[in-house]
Amino acid sequence: MDKLTHGFRIEQDKCKGCFTCMRSCPTHAIRVRERKARYEPDRCIDCGVCLSACPWSAIAATTWSVEDLSRFRFKVAVPCPVLFGQFPASVAPAHIVEGLLTLGFDAVWDYTVEIGLVSRAISEYLENWKGATPLISVSCPVVVRLVQVSYPRMVDQLIPLHVPREIAGREVKRRYSARLGIPEEEIAAIYITPCQAKTISILQPAEGAESHLDGALGIADIYNAIVAYASLRKDEAGKTAQPPIIRDSSFLRWPVSEGLTHILSRQRYLHVTGLSNIIQVFDDIEKGKLRNVDFLEAYNCWSGCVSGNLTVANVYVTLSRFHSLISKLPEMDPETQAEVDRRYPKEDFRLERPIRPRPLRGSTGSLRERVRIIQQAEETSKILPGLDCGLCGAPTCKELARDISMGDATKQDCVFLSKDRLQNLRKAYLHQPT
Amino acid sequence: MRPSVAEELLRRTFEVRGQDFDKAGETSAEVTAILKDLGIDPDIILRVGVVTFEAEMNVVMYAHEATVTFILTDEEILIDVTDRGPGIPDIGLAMQTGYSTASDEMREMGFGYGLGLPNIKKNSDAFILESEVGKGTTVHSSIRLDSSG
Repeated sequence: MDKLTHGFRIEQDKCKGCFTCMRSCPTHAIRVRERKARYEPDRCIDCGVCLSACPWSAIAATTWSVEDLSRFRFKVAVPCPVLFGQFPASVAPAHIVEGLLTLGFDAVWDYTVEIGLVSRAISEYLENWKGATPLISVSCPVVVRLVQVSYPRMVDQLIPLHVPREIAGREVKRRYSARLGIPEEEIAAIYITPCQAKTISILQPAEGAESHLDGALGIADIYNAIVAYASLRKDEAGKTAQPPIIRDSSFLRWPVSEGLTHILSRQRYLHVTGLSNIIQVFDDIEKGKLRNVDFLEAYNCWSGCVSGNLTVANVYVTLSRFHSLISKLPEMDPETQAEVDRRYPKEDFRLERPIRPRPLRGSTGSLRERVRIIQQAEETSKILPGLDCGLCGAPTCKELARDISMGDATKQDCVFLSKDRLQNLRKAYLHQPT
Repeated sequence: MRPSVAEELLRRTFEVRGQDFDKAGETSAEVTAILKDLGIDPDIILRVGVVTFEAEMNVVMYAHEATVTFILTDEEILIDVTDRGPGIPDIGLAMQTGYSTASDEMREMGFGYGLGLPNIKKNSDAFILESEVGKGTTVHSSIRLDSSG
């Protein structure tokens, strides 16, 4: 298996070894050893909880910069609809588009049609599905990774269809390659992303195929430039030659995760947000307690993508702007509808490869060795206090027991079992020069 | 249990109670958690999960109680579910997809579509069903570790 890429970097000089990230990590991927946090890549699902939790801003997200894009001959921005809810009323959608062009993009792609196409494909997939339910939306990359790492039995319930941004990336290359007569490789489709997780889904798609997008810029990375541009052009608002990018409400509904509610009104539908809630619901699915649901849409962020960790504006203000815009727009404009009808029969929306569970560390070595590890961990668990205080540097006693059996830690790391450990912690944490 | 030449590496037993819908699925979840910890091929976990879950649901729906035994050897995973319950009068019929004696109430909960036993068989490399009316039913399922496909 390829080395896993994650968008997070723990900056060692800023890390105080304070255990906050370790305690917040939903998949128990973080350990604190020698006063520094580190994470096990195979357990990380890119949710970004640690990044927000760290009081020292020691966990940074890695993204592309505008300069990284210079190697492409023709660059097309593919903005997430969330972008259009980020700005004050004085910044018109046309300003946003023009602002992107001044940043160095050659074109801006509106993926309303792709949203229509993918919604239809999902609808059809649901109608024909005969396997275990509920089927789970793959819109949120964190949810996909959570299933791969913690719920391997449910991978077949993930809908193996591309998300609209990927279909947009593919179409951008086809369209501009034909129009400009240059090879597809020289055309870059760059997603303007509301979150880190989507960046990683482009770097390394969960299914292990190549993304149709070539990179991503965070909304936070381009926000100031667009505001600056709009203030320069304030007086010319409305005089732009740009076509309207927001054509109908389906475009704006998609990232607030209401996108599929009315399209799939005939299905039994569940909508879950927030990782702790998702985990609760997935536990119920794994235990077979949630059988009467056909479709589940889940988002790591509490309000869907509008609250992604690379957004700028207050989420409630964004939602309010979206609702006001949505009320003025048709659900799907005739032009979009015609284009969806034209393209749908010609395109394939399936993922190129199936989504498989992710193999975790400790799964290497002979079966006998692996059995020894879990048996030893069970034995060790019995002598640990079970308080999950975390002072050993592992988030729970169970995790410490497993670390010990894998040779990553010793019983002496537990403050209940070793006075030295407590002494060392005192030295390390009480006499730290500030 | 069928004789097995391979040495037993790990054994766990679980008790399942009839009508206990609250706890239904927990044995299956525990077994799959062990397999997940062991880094067993996820396709195999999936199959063991289906076998254990369906067998467990059958116990919850129809039997009084049962013992689920999970055995891991170098070569296979054995799931043995022995229940104390009404037994199955016609095994041939019970094995047919779509045949079910579930009550409307059970169907209301999303179970009882006659997929359980056929599903267990489909996901097993070896499958034996024994039943005595008035006494109980035993399901033996074996899933080979090298049978991933």
